[in-house]
Amino acid sequence: MMKFRRSMLFVPGANTAMVCNAFVYKPDTVMFDLEDSVALSEKDSARLMVYHALQHFTYKDIETAVRVNPLDSVFGHLDLQAVIRGGADIIRLPKTDTVDDVLDMQSAIEKIEKEIGRTKKTKLLAAIESAEGVVNAVQIARCSDRLMGIALGAEDYVRDLRTQRTKEGTELTAARAQILLAARAAKIQAFDSVFPDVRDKEGFIREVEHVRGLGFDGKSLVNPNQISILHDIYAPSEKEIDWAYEVVEAAAHAEKNGLGVVSLDGKMVDAPIIARAEFTLELAIASGLIGEEDE
Amino acid sequence: MNSTISVSEFDSGNIRRVKKVQEFLDKNELDMSPDIEVFVTIKDEDDMIACGGLAGKVLKCIAVDNNRRGQGLILKVVTHLLNAALVRDRKELFLFSTPKNIEFFRDCGFRLIEECDDEIILMENTKNLESYQKKLTSLKKDGDVIGTIVMNANPFTLGHRYLVEEASKRSDWLHLFVVREDASEFKFADRIELIKKGISNLKNVTLHEGSDYIISKATFPTYFIKDKGQVNELHAKLDLNVFRNQLASFLGITHRFVGTEPYCKVTNNYNKNMKKILEDPSGKTAPIEVVEIDRIEFAEQPISASRVRALLKENNYEELESIVPPSTYEFLMKGVQDDK
Amino acid sequence: MINSAHAGTLESSDVYIQINPIEEDIVEIELHSSVAELYDDMIEELIRDTLKEMGVTGINVHVQDKGALDFVIKARLQAAVFRACGTVPSWEEQS
Repeated sequence: MMKFRRSMLFVPGANTAMVCNAFVYKPDTVMFDLEDSVALSEKDSARLMVYHALQHFTYKDIETAVRVNPLDSVFGHLDLQAVIRGGADIIRLPKTDTVDDVLDMQSAIEKIEKEIGRTKKTKLLAAIESAEGVVNAVQIARCSDRLMGIALGAEDYVRDLRTQRTKEGTELTAARAQILLAARAAKIQAFDSVFPDVRDKEGFIREVEHVRGLGFDGKSLVNPNQISILHDIYAPSEKEIDWAYEVVEAAAHAEKNGLGVVSLDGKMVDAPIIARAEFTLELAIASGLIGEEDE
Repeated sequence: MNSTISVSEFDSGNIRRVKKVQEFLDKNELDMSPDIEVFVTIKDEDDMIACGGLAGKVLKCIAVDNNRRGQGLILKVVTHLLNAALVRDRKELFLFSTPKNIEFFRDCGFRLIEECDDEIILMENTKNLESYQKKLTSLKKDGDVIGTIVMNANPFTLGHRYLVEEASKRSDWLHLFVVREDASEFKFADRIELIKKGISNLKNVTLHEGSDYIISKATFPTYFIKDKGQVNELHAKLDLNVFRNQLASFLGITHRFVGTEPYCKVTNNYNKNMKKILEDPSGKTAPIEVVEIDRIEFAEQPISASRVRALLKENNYEELESIVPPSTYEFLMKGVQDDK
Repeated sequence: MINSAHAGTLESSDVYIQINPIEEDIVEIELHSSVAELYDDMIEELIRDTLKEMGVTGINVHVQDKGALDFVIKARLQAAVFRACGTVPSWEEQS
């Protein structure tokens, strides 16, 4: 089954209440942050906190990612040592400009995994936050089988472009298109950036509708209250669910009767269409629109 | 979550930022304290929403924007102030604030020492007051008139000695407290030594080293900058309340003796407050009678420590000798010799 | 252990831990909790176990608990000890 990552909730590693409670909001992925949100004086303490949180039972049934500090900082390797041992599912690279950034991180992770005998491969998420990163996105997306997705980091990106973020988001058009294409071509996921104004609910809704329309799998969030809004927008429509049921049913019927070709309304239904329908139903379940037994 | 919130710590040298703290305190009807060394501020984007300061071992000027109460900001401020104190190796701390915050601070490990006029509270994060009170209880003496004097004696003069002798005569027992804070021209160790020598003939006196609870930078910070005329009336009242309720009652004190104060407005005002607070029959502990004793004079001028200091500066040793006890004179002249 | 150190915050769900070296070869714990005293024994045990794991004695631990979960207390205590020793965890020795 495809893993949904509509919502990736950023949790500052120094904010204990958030570290303890983030799971309550049921984001698809909890993303502990050891980088920008943590003051220099608290890096050590936050690292230990996240290390222990990762192992806590409350995070057993939820996917965990950790944004570590860059490997060329004094904190990067220490962060990695702690969170790989803690059992993070995903490492989010802080700033990915080149293929080498990913490969360096990959080999650092491999080394630790070997040391501790971890067999489950830690996945990677590359954050594209610069013009260089956007230009290299196609190569970056294809460079490692650990990469589960690439994400746009808009704040640093607009600074690099010498512009600023607007409500309309026109300044992000090129980056979004490039990141999405690179991800889809490499068959990995694509994630949009954090919406900057936590108070602007309507602006948030508009942006989520926009990026969902573009094809993004999800978005990073800083405000837990945005999760349910985002999930609602990502939920399939009744019409889509109905269509998906019919496709899945037709496929099952064809298989049962040994028919080589599935057809619906006179059109051939091939494997990608069936996969799409199954995805829609899973999404409907994740959105709470249908129960699992309905399938 | 508040991703837009940022905390910063800076010292009093950052004049522009201190000015912003001042404006924020004004808005929240709190006074800025001139002795703060380290400031902590919390901002939401560019707006200040909370602040606090550390002065010596005292946390003060803690304020949270009215619209941002109930978000735990006060705990963030106290955490950062505590960090600032601990890295400076200050572990035994005091805290000034307003009564509405008592519970927050209790939850941060502070205990209430005294509350005054529903306006100001003094707290500490140790059990030091409790042990001090135990010690005082063990020094308690019986008698109808148990007197007390609190003096800085900077340095000890014949005027001080007259005050102590008079008080000693009128009391069954006299407890003499010496301000401990080393914020005066003469060091505490020297000041108390000169008192000890100057009153060695008196048999009914216990000489106490002062503490954080008697005219200290903790209970009464503005006392030590009184030359600038900035004594905070509220702090003076708080100091007197601590004295009456937390110390005097453990020694069974009945009378407090003070010298009359014809010149210094600040001290005169303090004495007035003293009468009001210590004698108030509705207080929670037994009232204490305040007895003013006229200062003795030399050459038609009252003898005072400030006069001694002035004469020293003028090298007028002859007049000096006539207004201090021999032991003080000897000590002062030794100082003069050493300087040369 | 050579130095004093502290870690944590006074905010809700967290814990503020101060540690100081002491002469005697023991673990001295002062616990203040704004939540139920019910958990005092458990917190104390957790602190002793954690210090034992780290091989630390001759220490006074001052704990201001604001309703922290076990792992939070452990993380803050470890952070304080590492700060006091001026070191970082040697992960290679742990698993």
